[in-house]
Amino acid sequence: MPTSILGPYTRTIVAVALVALTIVFSLTIRVSVHTSIEPFFDWMTASWIGYIGTTWGAAFAFIEAFHMIGLAVIGGTVLVSDGRLLGLMFPDQAVSAIAPRTYRIFNWALILTLGTGVFMACAVAGKIYFLKVFWYKMLALSAGILFEYGIRRPLLAKEPAGINPWVLKLTATASIMVWFTVAALGRWIGYSG
Amino acid sequence: KLDDIQIAAIVSSSVFVLWFAIYWFFQIQAVRELF
Repeated sequence: MPTSILGPYTRTIVAVALVALTIVFSLTIRVSVHTSIEPFFDWMTASWIGYIGTTWGAAFAFIEAFHMIGLAVIGGTVLVSDGRLLGLMFPDQAVSAIAPRTYRIFNWALILTLGTGVFMACAVAGKIYFLKVFWYKMLALSAGILFEYGIRRPLLAKEPAGINPWVLKLTATASIMVWFTVAALGRWIGYSG
Repeated sequence: KLDDIQIAAIVSSSVFVLWFAIYWFFQIQAVRELF
């Protein structure tokens, strides 16, 4: 983090700036950007990945199964580590003993989910481009990834005694809500049209 | 003491919790309307 440029509150300034940028973007150029990227979705449909996904149902179902498994594993790691932060699970284990163990599993599950998600997006690009819920999911997913690697993990890397317990609980609640929303909106895409 | 990362966590977590709480509240309202 470029601490020397923005001073001692770099991470806070970056977090506030990202939230403000997202709000400004959604209120100003969102519609024109959405219109301008339609050819990219046409290209996704016409690509060889899109061709396989649209013509071979078994391939789509096979890949989607791995997408679901990846999402389930992400959900498991989130529930275990955030459940511990909330004091709901493994209360006899230290946070520092549980959270870092979930990191590698989360990383691989996220890679699996993103990889299979790209394939599925190519297969149904013509549908998802017009689905508002798809864009909500992408927003929640981006927020979740930035939150996980930019806020949550650096926070948990600190000495537990130096962290306000209510900050931990708020962070865990936000983390669970973000990934629940990502999962729920993903299923909403499947439900839509 | 609240340092940079803790303040950033409070800000971003509060935004997320509010955002998703409002989002899902309106979705539940839609279900209630679902006439």
